[in-house]
Amino acid sequence: MLGDIITPDLFAAALRMATPLALAAIGGTICERSGVINIALEGMMLTGAFFGTAVVLVTNSPWLGVLGAVGAGVIMASVHAFASINLRADQTVSGTAINLLALGMTGFLMEIWYGHPGTTDQIGVLRPVLTLDAPGGGFLPEVWRWVSGIFLSHTPIVYITILIAITAQWAVYHTKWGLRLRALGEHPRAVDTVGVNVLRGRWVAVLISGGLAGLAGANLTIEQVGSFTEGMTNGRGFIALAANIFGRWTPVGSYLAALLFGFADALQIKLQILRGVISVPPQFFLMLPYVLTVIVLAGVIGRAVAPAASGIPYRKG
Amino acid sequence: MRRTQFLYEEADRSVNGKISRVLVVLLALTLILAFVPACSPKEDTTEEETTEETTEPPLKAAMVTDVGGLGDKSFNDLSYEGLKRAEEELGVEIEVLESKEITDYESNIDQLASAGFSPIFAVGFLMTDTVVKLAPEYPDTQFGGVDEFFDPTIENVVGLNFKEEEGSYLAGVVAGMATKETFDAKLNDKNIIGFVGGMDVPLIKKFEAGFIAGAKSVNPDVQVISLYTGSFTDQAKGKELGLSLIDQGADVIYAAAGACGTGTVQACQEKGALFIGVDADQYLTIEGTGDVMLTSMMKRVDNAVFQTIEAAVNGDLKTGENQVFGLKEGGVELAPFHDFDSKVPQAIKDAVEKATADIIDGKITVPTTL
Repeated sequence: MLGDIITPDLFAAALRMATPLALAAIGGTICERSGVINIALEGMMLTGAFFGTAVVLVTNSPWLGVLGAVGAGVIMASVHAFASINLRADQTVSGTAINLLALGMTGFLMEIWYGHPGTTDQIGVLRPVLTLDAPGGGFLPEVWRWVSGIFLSHTPIVYITILIAITAQWAVYHTKWGLRLRALGEHPRAVDTVGVNVLRGRWVAVLISGGLAGLAGANLTIEQVGSFTEGMTNGRGFIALAANIFGRWTPVGSYLAALLFGFADALQIKLQILRGVISVPPQFFLMLPYVLTVIVLAGVIGRAVAPAASGIPYRKG
Repeated sequence: MRRTQFLYEEADRSVNGKISRVLVVLLALTLILAFVPACSPKEDTTEEETTEETTEPPLKAAMVTDVGGLGDKSFNDLSYEGLKRAEEELGVEIEVLESKEITDYESNIDQLASAGFSPIFAVGFLMTDTVVKLAPEYPDTQFGGVDEFFDPTIENVVGLNFKEEEGSYLAGVVAGMATKETFDAKLNDKNIIGFVGGMDVPLIKKFEAGFIAGAKSVNPDVQVISLYTGSFTDQAKGKELGLSLIDQGADVIYAAAGACGTGTVQACQEKGALFIGVDADQYLTIEGTGDVMLTSMMKRVDNAVFQTIEAAVNGDLKTGENQVFGLKEGGVELAPFHDFDSKVPQAIKDAVEKATADIIDGKITVPTTL
């Protein structure tokens, strides 16, 4: 029975399901490190998912679609950047507005472009990078089945995400850009006095977060399912926010937190199989990832301190 | 010094004024964009002109979609089909309002009822409470609740329900027999089939119960694994459930989970399993899935909507009750096998035919709960 649950596919599913969360969470991390709260990750992800699909429907090229998704995320992010950096708007209000805008706009454009809301036509998707057939029987082939099943069965963006997490971690902690980014979120006035442009630094961070959220959307539509459905992000942007906090505003931490949420989700699917054995309603299992989110955010894991200037618009002079 | 300070503050204030104005415009734009699709009526303008030229339409029928919206390739679209057929054949005037959020239900129904539409179809069980609340406010308007069961019944409302369990029973018969067959390379010898549900609500339970009963009737030893996505729009979740089922050895999967099913089909195509669609003939509605689409359990919502409008036109629409459309009434049926038609053994086709006849004759009563 346990063998039914603990399979290579369980861990592979965790990696797959963590990917969109991780991308958005890393985006959120970079954004908040610069001092701008980004609760619009959900909307940017949805926009990316939609435009990614739209570009593939026109060009038939999944990779161009990925570019389109990233671009769409960046454009949505520029709205957030303009409102919250230049206009010094309340960042929560601006983020909420973008989430609503994304939901309305994708539905609106579907109606205009495809004549109906709901679900788009199928598109060509990105295939797994490697296609390996596991050899049968024996100990070594069994090990190989696990290793290849868990790590080698994935689509490109899953691997790209791991690279992004490591690169971002290095960039945030070991480059001049990263030092400035962290300073922007802690004490922007100090950064300003040494002659660094605060507004530009924050703009760059917000745009990067939009691009990453857009890429998360591309992962959903262009890699996983091959079509866009309105509202298909289903709250992933908000779980990503939690992952960002749980990861203590570090890229690798965000990735690992996303992996935990992904694993919880993958596990609940497998646990549902047990319903034939023990009588538990499926809602109980469906609830697990969210319960985990609440527990994590309630601080069981330890206190997390947000960047000091996060959420505070910078006023020069 | 004090003077300069004052000037700064003054400048600051005027900048703030500008900011709030820009923000107001931004927010207003957002709201407009968010609500435009929700309020945009689906009308065929040419059609409308012709009806105006001829005679006054016998009545104005309308529908409110649930959050799935038109284009769900499922019961919202099917209800619209029924409405369009009524427009063509009966010359009634039609209107559709779409709901983006559950909170749109009330305003959409209000809007149509105030504009004098009757009957108004509220599509989807999620709208049941809204209909219960609003119907008494418009006693002269007739309401049809697609997929809605009213207990107690309301004087001006008819609930249009379907015996999904009967159609699902047939799907179960097909799946239960197919998993033991070898007519397709994707079938294995593990004797396991899968069910993907949307939300765990009584309606979806009917699908599950019928499916399991049908499968067990022809294959008592078959193992049926049921998984729920907890959503009707999260395609990625639907795909993960599909992958998980296939990982467990399921080779025929039946999905009753709205748009999540689109993801499940993807899983079947990638990892190799057969798929049974739901609500519409999904061979036609999800392109390029012929290699895994064994059949579909169709809910003929269009028939139910059309028959209701027809009754309203003839003046003999019975409200204040719940109507049930089963195999006998043409409310549910199994779609053709399409690409699998030549592969599927005659034994399966015969078994489906026999089960259909037995259900219609009342020899088999399909359970609605597990």
